[in-house]
Amino acid sequence: MNAIEFHSLSKFYGKHRGIEGIDFSVSKGEVFGFIGPNGAGKSTAIRTLLGLLHPSSGSASILGHDVVKEGVQARLKVGYLPSEVDFYPEMTSRELLEYHAGLYGIEKGEKRIEELAQYFELALDRPIDDLSYGNKKKCAIIQAVLHEPEVLILDEPTGGLDPFMQNRFFELLESLNKKGVTVFFSSHILSEIQRMCDRAAVIREGKITAIEDISSLLSKQMKKVRLVLKKETKLSLPDGFQNHHSTGSKHNFDYVGPTEVLIRWLAEQDLVDVVLTEPDLESIFMNYYQR
Amino acid sequence: MSMNRTLYFKELKRNRKNTLIWTSIVVAFTFLILSIYPSFSQMGDQMTELMSSLPEEYARALGMDEGTWSSIIGFYSTYYGIYITLLMGIFTASTGATIVGKEERDGTAEFLLTRPMTRSTIVTTKFLALGTLLAVVYSTQTFFAVLGMNVFGDDVLWRHFVTMHVHGFVLVSFFTAAAVLFSSFLSPKLNYMGPVVGMIFGSFFLDAIAKATEQVSWLGYISPYHYLQLQAESGSLEVNWGSCIVLMILSLIMLKAGHARYLKRDIVG
Repeated sequence: MNAIEFHSLSKFYGKHRGIEGIDFSVSKGEVFGFIGPNGAGKSTAIRTLLGLLHPSSGSASILGHDVVKEGVQARLKVGYLPSEVDFYPEMTSRELLEYHAGLYGIEKGEKRIEELAQYFELALDRPIDDLSYGNKKKCAIIQAVLHEPEVLILDEPTGGLDPFMQNRFFELLESLNKKGVTVFFSSHILSEIQRMCDRAAVIREGKITAIEDISSLLSKQMKKVRLVLKKETKLSLPDGFQNHHSTGSKHNFDYVGPTEVLIRWLAEQDLVDVVLTEPDLESIFMNYYQR
Repeated sequence: MSMNRTLYFKELKRNRKNTLIWTSIVVAFTFLILSIYPSFSQMGDQMTELMSSLPEEYARALGMDEGTWSSIIGFYSTYYGIYITLLMGIFTASTGATIVGKEERDGTAEFLLTRPMTRSTIVTTKFLALGTLLAVVYSTQTFFAVLGMNVFGDDVLWRHFVTMHVHGFVLVSFFTAAAVLFSSFLSPKLNYMGPVVGMIFGSFFLDAIAKATEQVSWLGYISPYHYLQLQAESGSLEVNWGSCIVLMILSLIMLKAGHARYLKRDIVG
């Protein structure tokens, strides 16, 4: 059984497309990235998965529970961290977290609340309305993990957190993942995906355009090439070379294709110097977005 | 349909300040009008003369006649019909209009609806909390009205009092259910106070106009006030059980329809 499954899931708002025919699964214990530009459909997919939106067609399940027909059982095992944090302003963080614990039927949650608040340096007895956005986000993180869920769904999780707290948050995720918790991580910050995820899906205009292992994406995709030739020469570039710019004997271009082809081609040139830059994930996904 | 205790008590706590304020206003108003009755009653013939000098249409519109202010129950009924049911209705209907939609407007729906409860449980629990708030305001007002009657009046016609309060309860429940239903069709970002006040005042004045002007008496049929008399005209006031039952059934239908609408609603964020 997979932790999360999407089966041809579509959501339309009237004539407007939210997501269309989403079809993939996330294995138990996996840390799965969900990447796409703003408006691509990331939040629509997550909201449909959590029962906030009704699917137009298709289905989705969490730990084998259909999110429409067995929404309660599905959500019982899920911790959700929304991108925008809106809590009851009249409550303190402690009251909110106790309220959350009550809704999950947790009777003795105080100790765990104290531990997590200490870990994230959150003042529990201040009204939520008085908290900074970063502190509200910490409160949101605590409520997402407090009931020890089996699946964590994180939508742009680090917004508002300072780098120190982001690091603590990632450490917490890593420790939870080691205990078997599945993490579904939606973000447009690719360095986070690169750090945390095993695989990632790319969504663009409501459709999944790629599902890849992060390591394979990093290894087989585009390389930036900068080379200096002994003399000014007009280069004959084979397939896979793009964005070529030259100034005198200096050439810059991108290469997408097998590495051995690139090495063979370089060996044929009259080189003074060559620099191959390892692509960052951002360049790779920009490549996907533009397809 | 099930309920969630944690959510139920949270809703009561969340609305306690508003409930306290509105209950205090209604109780203070009840006591104020009952406390001035002894001064009016001492004016005896002058009041009867004043009442008979009122234009006939005006008196009819407000359900008053020469005998209205000759007893504490008649005096109280004028204010109960015009002000007290309106005040209670405005509080419970405006609370009903926002009790579910407020979560969406404030962005907390995302928190609440992603907990392990069905939407039906959430909406049912909120409706039960709304019913409790209505019961609190209504019963507190009734308790203080009984107290006031005993302190400031004598020879109270309790049968009339009970009739007024039964009719008042049905009317307030009807307006609350209507507010729940119409709010389920509208954007949660709207301020519902205006439409709620408009609905209740509009219903009251439709009935008043219908009573005052025979040519448009048909207008009364579209106002719930037409079916449930709140003033003791010519000393007669009986519980209209038929209308009470019909209006309560309509209220339940409106609540059920509002419930169904909320279950289908998308929370876009």
